[in-house]
Amino acid sequence: MISTLLSKIASHAGNDRLTRPSRGKLLGGLMVAMGVVATMGMVGLSHASQDAQFPMPEGKTYLEECGGCHTAYAPGLLPARSWIKLMSGLSRHFGDDASLEDKTRDKLTADLVALAADSRAANALMQRINAAIPASATPERISKTGFFNFMHDEVSSSIWRRPRIGTPSNCMACHTKTEAGRYHEREVHIPK
Amino acid sequence: MNKQLPILISALMFWPLSVLAETPQQILEQLVRNAGSPASVQRGEQIFRAKPGQGEAESCMSCHTNNPKAAGQHFRSRKLIEPLAVVANAERFTDPAKVEKWFKRNCKDVFARSCTAQEKADFTAYMLSVK
Repeated sequence: MISTLLSKIASHAGNDRLTRPSRGKLLGGLMVAMGVVATMGMVGLSHASQDAQFPMPEGKTYLEECGGCHTAYAPGLLPARSWIKLMSGLSRHFGDDASLEDKTRDKLTADLVALAADSRAANALMQRINAAIPASATPERISKTGFFNFMHDEVSSSIWRRPRIGTPSNCMACHTKTEAGRYHEREVHIPK
Repeated sequence: MNKQLPILISALMFWPLSVLAETPQQILEQLVRNAGSPASVQRGEQIFRAKPGQGEAESCMSCHTNNPKAAGQHFRSRKLIEPLAVVANAERFTDPAKVEKWFKRNCKDVFARSCTAQEKADFTAYMLSVK
Protein backbone atom coordinates (compact mmCIF):
# COMPACT_ATOMS: atom_id res chain seq x y z
CA MET A 1 0.00 0.00 0.00
CA ILE A 2 2.82 2.37 0.86
CA SER A 3 4.57 1.65 -2.41
CA THR A 4 1.35 2.37 -4.30
CA LEU A 5 1.00 5.60 -2.44
CA LEU A 6 4.63 6.51 -3.04
CA SER A 7 4.29 6.05 -6.77
CA LYS A 8 1.05 8.02 -6.72
CA ILE A 9 2.63 10.86 -4.81
CA ALA A 10 5.80 10.75 -6.93
CA SER A 11 3.69 11.07 -10.04
CA HIS A 12 1.97 14.09 -8.58
CA ALA A 13 4.82 15.51 -6.58
CA GLY A 14 5.16 18.41 -8.94
CA ASN A 15 1.56 19.36 -8.42
CA ASP A 16 0.84 20.52 -4.93
CA ARG A 17 -2.82 20.91 -5.76
CA LEU A 18 -3.43 17.21 -6.12
CA THR A 19 -2.78 16.17 -2.56
CA ARG A 20 -5.29 14.06 -0.79
CA PRO A 21 -7.36 15.32 2.09
CA SER A 22 -7.09 13.30 5.27
CA ARG A 23 -7.41 9.63 4.55
CA GLY A 24 -7.33 7.69 7.80
CA LYS A 25 -5.79 4.39 6.85
CA LEU A 26 -3.30 5.95 4.48
CA LEU A 27 -2.18 8.59 6.92
CA GLY A 28 0.86 6.63 8.11
CA GLY A 29 1.92 5.92 4.56
CA LEU A 30 1.39 9.50 3.61
CA MET A 31 3.61 10.73 6.43
CA VAL A 32 6.37 8.30 5.42
CA ALA A 33 5.94 9.33 1.82
CA MET A 34 6.12 12.97 2.75
CA GLY A 35 9.40 12.36 4.49
CA VAL A 36 10.77 10.65 1.41
CA VAL A 37 9.50 13.36 -0.85
CA ALA A 38 10.98 16.02 1.40
CA THR A 39 14.39 14.38 1.43
CA MET A 40 14.23 14.14 -2.34
CA GLY A 41 13.96 17.87 -2.29
CA MET A 42 10.60 17.90 -4.02
CA VAL A 43 8.78 20.76 -2.47
CA GLY A 44 5.18 21.78 -2.50
CA LEU A 45 3.48 18.67 -1.16
CA SER A 46 1.37 19.66 1.78
CA HIS A 47 -0.79 17.33 3.78
CA ALA A 48 -4.25 18.76 4.03
CA SER A 49 -5.64 18.50 7.53
CA GLN A 50 -9.03 19.45 6.24
CA ASP A 51 -11.78 16.89 5.94
CA ALA A 52 -13.69 16.10 2.80
CA GLN A 53 -16.56 18.39 3.72
CA PHE A 54 -18.50 20.53 1.25
CA PRO A 55 -21.18 23.13 1.93
CA MET A 56 -24.62 22.09 0.62
CA PRO A 57 -27.60 24.20 -0.48
CA GLU A 58 -30.01 24.97 2.33
CA GLY A 59 -33.45 23.46 2.44
CA LYS A 60 -34.82 20.28 0.90
CA THR A 61 -35.26 21.37 -2.72
CA TYR A 62 -31.83 20.31 -3.94
CA LEU A 63 -32.05 16.93 -2.20
CA GLU A 64 -35.60 16.31 -3.43
CA GLU A 65 -35.29 17.54 -7.01
CA CYS A 66 -31.72 16.71 -8.07
CA GLY A 67 -31.20 14.13 -5.36
CA GLY A 68 -34.44 12.37 -6.32
CA CYS A 69 -32.73 10.66 -9.25
CA HIS A 70 -29.03 10.68 -8.39
CA THR A 71 -26.55 11.63 -5.69
CA ALA A 72 -27.10 15.25 -4.68
CA TYR A 73 -23.56 16.10 -5.72
CA ALA A 74 -21.79 18.69 -3.60
CA PRO A 75 -21.77 21.97 -5.56
CA GLY A 76 -18.07 22.35 -4.70
CA LEU A 77 -17.20 19.43 -6.97
CA LEU A 78 -17.54 21.59 -10.10
CA PRO A 79 -16.91 25.25 -10.99
CA ALA A 80 -19.80 27.68 -11.47
CA ARG A 81 -19.56 27.61 -15.28
CA SER A 82 -20.19 23.84 -15.20
CA TRP A 83 -23.33 24.18 -13.09
CA ILE A 84 -24.66 26.97 -15.30
CA LYS A 85 -24.16 24.80 -18.37
CA LEU A 86 -25.77 21.76 -16.74
CA MET A 87 -28.74 23.68 -15.38
CA SER A 88 -29.41 25.37 -18.72
CA GLY A 89 -29.70 22.00 -20.46
CA LEU A 90 -31.92 20.00 -18.12
CA SER A 91 -34.26 18.90 -20.89
CA ARG A 92 -31.35 16.84 -22.24
CA HIS A 93 -29.70 15.81 -19.00
CA PHE A 94 -27.38 12.86 -19.68
CA GLY A 95 -30.09 11.32 -21.83
CA ASP A 96 -33.02 12.20 -19.58
CA ASP A 97 -35.51 15.02 -19.53
CA ALA A 98 -34.92 16.45 -16.07
CA SER A 99 -36.76 19.71 -16.66
CA LEU A 100 -37.81 21.75 -13.64
CA GLU A 101 -40.15 24.68 -13.17
CA ASP A 102 -38.24 27.82 -14.15
CA LYS A 103 -38.42 29.21 -10.64
CA THR A 104 -37.03 26.03 -9.08
CA ARG A 105 -34.30 25.74 -11.70
CA ASP A 106 -33.19 29.35 -11.19
CA LYS A 107 -33.09 28.98 -7.41
CA LEU A 108 -31.08 25.77 -7.60
CA THR A 109 -28.69 27.27 -10.15
CA ALA A 110 -28.06 30.22 -7.84
CA ASP A 111 -27.41 27.85 -4.92
CA LEU A 112 -25.01 25.72 -6.97
CA VAL A 113 -23.11 28.76 -8.25
CA ALA A 114 -22.85 30.25 -4.74
CA LEU A 115 -21.20 27.07 -3.42
CA ALA A 116 -19.23 26.07 -6.54
CA ALA A 117 -15.57 25.04 -6.51
CA ASP A 118 -14.53 28.50 -7.72
CA SER A 119 -16.94 30.44 -5.53
CA ARG A 120 -16.02 32.73 -2.68
CA ALA A 121 -17.36 30.00 -0.37
CA ALA A 122 -14.68 27.61 -1.59
CA ASN A 123 -12.65 25.90 1.13
CA ALA A 124 -9.13 24.56 0.53
CA LEU A 125 -10.44 21.27 -0.84
CA MET A 126 -12.75 22.99 -3.31
CA GLN A 127 -9.93 25.28 -4.40
CA ARG A 128 -7.78 22.22 -5.17
CA ILE A 129 -10.62 20.67 -7.14
CA ASN A 130 -11.01 23.88 -9.11
CA ALA A 131 -7.28 24.22 -9.69
CA ALA A 132 -7.18 20.75 -11.28
CA ILE A 133 -9.75 21.83 -13.90
CA PRO A 134 -8.29 23.76 -16.86
CA ALA A 135 -9.73 27.26 -17.15
CA SER A 136 -10.65 26.46 -20.75
CA ALA A 137 -12.73 23.42 -19.77
CA THR A 138 -16.34 23.24 -18.60
CA PRO A 139 -16.69 19.68 -17.33
CA GLU A 140 -20.19 18.29 -16.92
CA ARG A 141 -19.15 14.99 -15.41
CA ILE A 142 -17.51 15.13 -11.98
CA SER A 143 -16.07 11.69 -12.67
CA LYS A 144 -14.04 13.17 -15.55
CA THR A 145 -12.29 15.78 -13.42
CA GLY A 146 -8.67 15.46 -12.41
CA PHE A 147 -9.21 15.45 -8.69
CA PHE A 148 -11.90 12.77 -8.85
CA ASN A 149 -9.62 10.50 -10.83
CA PHE A 150 -6.70 11.16 -8.51
CA MET A 151 -8.82 10.24 -5.51
CA HIS A 152 -10.28 7.09 -7.08
CA ASP A 153 -7.44 5.65 -9.12
CA GLU A 154 -7.06 2.71 -6.73
CA VAL A 155 -10.67 1.65 -7.32
CA SER A 156 -10.59 -1.28 -9.73
CA SER A 157 -13.04 -1.66 -12.59
CA SER A 158 -14.50 -4.76 -10.95
CA ILE A 159 -15.53 -2.64 -7.96
CA TRP A 160 -17.14 0.00 -10.19
CA ARG A 161 -19.11 -2.77 -11.89
CA ARG A 162 -20.64 -4.14 -8.70
CA PRO A 163 -24.44 -4.05 -9.03
CA ARG A 164 -24.97 -1.64 -6.15
CA ILE A 165 -22.36 0.76 -7.60
CA GLY A 166 -22.50 0.42 -11.38
CA THR A 167 -21.12 3.83 -12.33
CA PRO A 168 -18.64 6.36 -10.90
CA SER A 169 -21.49 8.88 -10.77
CA ASN A 170 -23.17 6.82 -8.02
CA CYS A 171 -21.25 8.55 -5.20
CA MET A 172 -23.76 7.63 -2.52
CA ALA A 173 -23.31 3.92 -3.16
CA CYS A 174 -20.04 4.12 -1.19
CA HIS A 175 -19.96 7.61 0.33
CA THR A 176 -22.70 7.26 2.89
CA LYS A 177 -23.04 10.92 3.92
CA THR A 178 -23.22 12.74 0.60
CA GLU A 179 -26.55 14.36 1.51
CA ALA A 180 -24.66 16.22 4.23
CA GLY A 181 -21.84 17.08 1.81
CA ARG A 182 -19.42 14.64 3.47
CA TYR A 183 -17.09 12.47 1.41
CA HIS A 184 -14.65 11.39 4.14
CA GLU A 185 -12.86 8.15 3.50
CA ARG A 186 -13.73 6.92 6.99
CA GLU A 187 -17.41 7.13 6.03
CA VAL A 188 -16.93 5.08 2.89
CA HIS A 189 -18.66 1.74 2.83
CA ILE A 190 -18.14 -0.20 -0.38
CA PRO A 191 -21.12 -2.50 -1.08
CA LYS A 192 -20.39 -6.15 -1.89
CA MET B 1 -66.19 19.50 29.84
CA ASN B 2 -63.27 18.51 32.02
CA LYS B 3 -63.24 15.09 30.46
CA GLN B 4 -63.46 16.42 26.96
CA LEU B 5 -60.79 19.08 27.27
CA PRO B 6 -57.79 16.74 26.82
CA ILE B 7 -59.45 15.24 23.78
CA LEU B 8 -60.03 18.67 22.36
CA ILE B 9 -56.43 19.68 22.99
CA SER B 10 -54.99 16.58 21.41
CA ALA B 11 -57.34 16.95 18.46
CA LEU B 12 -56.04 20.49 17.97
CA MET B 13 -52.44 19.31 18.30
CA PHE B 14 -52.84 16.74 15.57
CA TRP B 15 -55.12 18.78 13.36
CA PRO B 16 -52.37 20.26 11.16
CA LEU B 17 -50.83 16.82 10.65
CA SER B 18 -54.10 15.28 9.58
CA VAL B 19 -54.53 18.03 7.01
CA LEU B 20 -51.04 17.73 5.49
CA ALA B 21 -50.60 13.99 5.41
CA GLU B 22 -52.89 11.88 3.31
CA THR B 23 -53.39 8.18 3.26
CA PRO B 24 -52.73 6.22 0.07
CA GLN B 25 -56.45 5.42 -0.01
CA GLN B 26 -57.33 9.14 0.02
CA ILE B 27 -54.86 9.81 -2.78
CA LEU B 28 -56.29 6.95 -4.82
CA GLU B 29 -59.83 8.29 -4.29
CA GLN B 30 -58.75 11.70 -5.59
CA LEU B 31 -57.08 10.13 -8.64
CA VAL B 32 -60.25 8.14 -9.34
CA ARG B 33 -62.32 11.33 -9.08
CA ASN B 34 -59.92 12.98 -11.56
CA ALA B 35 -60.29 10.01 -13.91
CA GLY B 36 -64.06 10.02 -13.70
CA SER B 37 -64.34 6.25 -13.69
CA PRO B 38 -63.25 3.41 -11.37
CA ALA B 39 -59.62 2.29 -11.20
CA SER B 40 -58.53 -1.11 -12.43
CA VAL B 41 -55.79 -2.99 -10.59
CA GLN B 42 -55.30 -5.19 -13.64
CA ARG B 43 -54.79 -2.25 -15.99
CA GLY B 44 -52.46 -0.75 -13.40
CA GLU B 45 -50.28 -3.83 -13.45
CA GLN B 46 -50.25 -3.75 -17.25
CA ILE B 47 -48.89 -0.21 -17.12
CA PHE B 48 -46.22 -1.29 -14.63
CA ARG B 49 -45.14 -4.21 -16.82
CA ALA B 50 -45.51 -2.54 -20.21
CA LYS B 51 -42.43 -2.16 -22.39
CA PRO B 52 -43.50 0.55 -24.83
CA GLY B 53 -39.96 1.17 -26.01
CA GLN B 54 -40.63 4.84 -26.62
CA GLY B 55 -38.91 6.62 -23.79
CA GLU B 56 -35.44 6.70 -22.28
CA ALA B 57 -36.27 3.85 -19.93
CA GLU B 58 -37.59 0.57 -21.31
CA SER B 59 -40.28 0.26 -18.66
CA CYS B 60 -41.20 1.08 -15.07
CA MET B 61 -39.33 -2.08 -14.19
CA SER B 62 -36.07 -0.60 -15.50
CA CYS B 63 -35.80 1.24 -12.19
CA HIS B 64 -38.35 -0.45 -9.93
CA THR B 65 -37.57 -4.12 -10.80
CA ASN B 66 -40.36 -6.55 -11.72
CA ASN B 67 -41.40 -6.72 -8.05
CA PRO B 68 -43.12 -3.60 -6.66
CA LYS B 69 -42.23 -4.75 -3.15
CA ALA B 70 -38.51 -4.73 -3.91
CA ALA B 71 -36.10 -1.80 -3.78
CA GLY B 72 -34.81 -0.79 -7.19
CA GLN B 73 -32.08 1.34 -8.70
CA HIS B 74 -32.30 4.21 -11.17
CA PHE B 75 -31.40 2.64 -14.51
CA ARG B 76 -28.77 5.26 -15.27
CA SER B 77 -27.54 6.79 -12.01
CA ARG B 78 -27.92 3.52 -10.05
CA LYS B 79 -29.31 5.43 -7.10
CA LEU B 80 -31.19 3.16 -4.73
CA ILE B 81 -34.98 3.51 -4.98
CA GLU B 82 -37.26 2.44 -2.16
CA PRO B 83 -40.12 0.04 -3.02
CA LEU B 84 -43.23 1.38 -4.78
CA ALA B 85 -45.80 -0.89 -3.18
CA VAL B 86 -47.46 0.61 -0.14
CA VAL B 87 -47.23 -2.70 1.71
CA ALA B 88 -43.43 -2.48 1.51
CA ASN B 89 -43.02 1.28 1.90
CA ALA B 90 -45.47 3.20 4.07
CA GLU B 91 -44.31 6.56 2.70
CA ARG B 92 -45.52 5.84 -0.83
CA PHE B 93 -48.65 7.65 -2.04
CA THR B 94 -48.92 9.90 1.01
CA ASP B 95 -47.98 13.23 -0.62
CA PRO B 96 -50.12 14.29 -3.60
CA ALA B 97 -47.47 16.70 -4.90
CA LYS B 98 -44.84 13.96 -4.95
CA VAL B 99 -47.21 11.55 -6.65
CA GLU B 100 -47.86 14.08 -9.44
CA LYS B 101 -44.18 14.98 -9.72
CA TRP B 102 -43.09 11.40 -10.27
CA PHE B 103 -45.94 10.58 -12.67
CA LYS B 104 -44.89 13.63 -14.67
CA ARG B 105 -41.22 12.66 -14.82
CA ASN B 106 -41.53 8.92 -15.13
CA CYS B 107 -44.38 8.75 -17.66
CA LYS B 108 -42.18 10.89 -19.88
CA ASP B 109 -39.22 8.58 -19.28
CA VAL B 110 -41.10 5.38 -20.11
CA PHE B 111 -43.94 6.38 -22.46
CA ALA B 112 -42.52 9.65 -23.86
CA ARG B 113 -45.81 11.35 -22.98
CA SER B 114 -47.92 12.31 -19.99
CA CYS B 115 -50.02 9.65 -18.35
CA THR B 116 -53.78 10.09 -18.40
CA ALA B 117 -55.81 10.56 -15.25
CA GLN B 118 -57.18 7.04 -15.75
CA GLU B 119 -53.67 5.57 -16.03
CA LYS B 120 -52.58 7.32 -12.84
CA ALA B 121 -55.61 5.96 -10.97
CA ASP B 122 -55.06 2.44 -12.33
CA PHE B 123 -51.35 2.43 -11.53
CA THR B 124 -51.94 3.70 -8.01
CA ALA B 125 -54.69 1.13 -7.43
CA TYR B 126 -52.22 -1.60 -8.38
CA MET B 127 -49.54 -0.29 -6.02
CA LEU B 128 -52.05 -0.22 -3.18
CA SER B 129 -53.32 -3.69 -4.00
CA VAL B 130 -49.97 -5.53 -3.94
CA LYS B 131 -49.90 -7.79 -0.90
